Amino acid sequence: MNSVVVVIIGFIVAFIGYRVYAKYIDTKIMKADPKRATPAKMYMDGVDFMPTSKNILFGYQFKSIAGAAPIIGPIIAIQWGWLPALLWILAGAFFIGWVQDYSSAMIAMRHEGASLGGLSHKLISPRARIILLSFLYFYLLLIAGAFGNVVVSTAIGLKAAPMAWLFMTIGGILAGQMIYRWKKDIILTTVVTVVIALFGIWLGTIAPSNKIIGDSLANSRWVWAIAAFVFCYFAAVLPIWRFALPINYVASYIVFLGLFFGIIGIFVAHPNFTLPAYTGFSIKIGPIWPIMFVTIACGAISGWHSLVSTSGTARQLEYETDARPVGGGVMFVEMMLAVFALVIAGTIYASATEYGAAIAKGPGVIFAAGVSKFLGALGLPLDTGRSYGSVMMIVLAVTIMQLVIRFMRIATSELLSDVSPIFKNAHIGTIIASLLGMLLVLTGWWQYLWVLFGGANQLMASLALMLVTAYLMSEGKPAAYAFYPMIFMFFTTVAALLYTSYGLLSKVFTGAVKGAEALIGNTLMGLIGFFLVIAAIILAVEGAKAFNRYRAIRAQAAPAKA
Amino acid sequence: MSEEKKKGGFFQAIKEFIYGVAAHDSARFALKTRASMEHLFILITMGDMLGVPILPPYYSLRLLPYVVPQISTWKRRMLREKDFTDALA
Repeated sequence: MNSVVVVIIGFIVAFIGYRVYAKYIDTKIMKADPKRATPAKMYMDGVDFMPTSKNILFGYQFKSIAGAAPIIGPIIAIQWGWLPALLWILAGAFFIGWVQDYSSAMIAMRHEGASLGGLSHKLISPRARIILLSFLYFYLLLIAGAFGNVVVSTAIGLKAAPMAWLFMTIGGILAGQMIYRWKKDIILTTVVTVVIALFGIWLGTIAPSNKIIGDSLANSRWVWAIAAFVFCYFAAVLPIWRFALPINYVASYIVFLGLFFGIIGIFVAHPNFTLPAYTGFSIKIGPIWPIMFVTIACGAISGWHSLVSTSGTARQLEYETDARPVGGGVMFVEMMLAVFALVIAGTIYASATEYGAAIAKGPGVIFAAGVSKFLGALGLPLDTGRSYGSVMMIVLAVTIMQLVIRFMRIATSELLSDVSPIFKNAHIGTIIASLLGMLLVLTGWWQYLWVLFGGANQLMASLALMLVTAYLMSEGKPAAYAFYPMIFMFFTTVAALLYTSYGLLSKVFTGAVKGAEALIGNTLMGLIGFFLVIAAIILAVEGAKAFNRYRAIRAQAAPAKA
Repeated sequence: MSEEKKKGGFFQAIKEFIYGVAAHDSARFALKTRASMEHLFILITMGDMLGVPILPPYYSLRLLPYVVPQISTWKRRMLREKDFTDALA
C-alpha cells in the first residue's frame, strides 16, 4: 500500500475525531463555557496563572508532549506488522488519547489549576496522592532509562551524531549567554546559534566520533551513557537559563525544520510499504496484546500528557473552549507524528531482514535513515540527512531526559528530605537520579526497557482517566467516554507490566541470565515493574471506593428530588 | 478585506505557534524567576501577614504602599498546595 494513502486516512481520522467526537464531548458532556472564568483569569499572577493565546499554548503543548516516544514506539511496533500498529495509533488516539489530554486539562481548570497530586487528593483520597507521587518517581526513572538507551544507541550507531550533539550544546549555551547576559537581539541570536547547530550537523559527517576518539571509545556504551547523564546533570543543577532552556530553544528549531521538511519529503517520495502488514500475534518481545499496545505509547495514549495538561496548560487556558484545540487537537497532531514514524519504518528498507538488522542497532538508526531518505527527496545529501536525523533523535530524547532528571532531583528532595537533610542538596539528588538512570541504561535490554516505560506511561494515563471518571461521577455527568478507556488501559498496562516483569525475574531465578550486567538489569527492571503494578492496584482500589462514594451520594440525592 | 484579515490571522497563528514551541517556556521561566525574587522580598517585609514576623512593623508599614498590589497574588502563591509536579508548570 502507498504510504500517502495511510497518511490521508490518518488525517481523516484526526478530522472526524476532533470535529465530531471531541466537539460532542466538549459541548454536551463537559459543557465547556467560554464565559466561565478559568484559573488563568481568576488567579492571574503573570507567572503560573496567565491567560495565554490558544495558538501559543498549542505550540507549547506540542513541544512539551512530542518527544522521542511517538517516533520510537511505531518503529519498534512495526515488528508485529504495520497494520496492527496503525490501527492502534488511530483507534488509541481517537478513543483514548485525546480524551485523556483534554479531560485532564478540563478537570484541572475546574479545580483551580490543581496538579495531578492535588486532584487525586480531592477526587479520590489523601492516600491516593502519596501513592501517585511514589509511582511517579519510578515512572520517571523508567523514562530516564528508556530515553537514555535511545541516546546511547544513536550515538554508537550513527558516528556523526556526537559532533552534531556537541555543536547543538555549544549553540545552546551561546544562546543563553547572548539572550540573558549580553542582551542581544533575539533574531540575531536565533540565526547565529541555529547556524552553529547546522554547521555541527554537517561537521559530523566529515568528523565522525570514531575518527576523533577511536573505535573502542566511539562504540562504548559506558562513554555515551556517561555523556548523556553528565549532560542531564548540568541541565539539572545549572541555572536553567544558562543550559537547559537555551539548548531546548535552539533544538526546537532544528527539530521543527526537520519534521516540516521531512513530512514534505514523504509526500514528494510517496513510497510504498515494504514491510509486511501483519507478521503474527507473538514475537520475541511478546504478544500483540498487551505488549504492542504499550510499545506505541505517546502516539496513541500517554500519561506524560496528563502531567503537562494539568500542571502546565490548565493554568494558562484563557477560555474553557480552548481546551479542545490545545488538549485534544495537539494529541491528534501527535497521532500524525506517530503515523509518519510508522511510514518511515515501513518504507525505507527493502525487506524485513534489512529492517531486522537495523533495529538491532537501535530505533535512532532507523529514524535517521528515514529522515535522510525523505530530506534526500528534497535534495539534501544523504550523509547530511542522516546526521540531521541522528541529532533530532538525540535532542528529542535528551530534552525529556533533562527535565526528568530535574524532576527526580526535586522528588528526591521532597520524598527523602525527612530521612536525611543531605537529600535536599541539588547535587546529591541529581547524582542519585543519574546513577539510577545509568544503571538501567547499561544493564537493561532496551526493548524490554521500552515496554516497561510504555506500560508505566500508559498506566499513568489510566490513573489520569480514573480522576476524570471520578470528576464526572461527582458531577453526575455521563462517564462512559472516560470509564471504558480507563478500564481497557488499566488491564492492558497491568498485563504488560506483569508479563514483562515476570519474564525478566523468571530468567533471573532460573539462572537463564548470564553475566552480572544482565542479572542486575533484569532484576531491577522486574522489581520496578512489580512495584508499579502494586501501586496501580492500590490506586485502583482507592478509585473504586471513590466511585462508590459518588454513586451513593447521587442515589441519595435522587429519592430526595422525587 | 476579510480575506486579508483571515491571512493575517493565519500568519499570526503560525507566529504564535512557533513562539509557543520555541520560546514560551523560556519567557515563563524568566517571569517565574522575577516573581520568586519579588515574593521573597514581600515575605521578608510582610511576612507577619502569614505569621512569619521578620522585619519590624515600622519598616513593613513604610514599604506597604509599594507592595499592596501584589499581596493577594503573593499570599495565594505562598499558601497554595504544591507538589513536585509543579516543577513542570
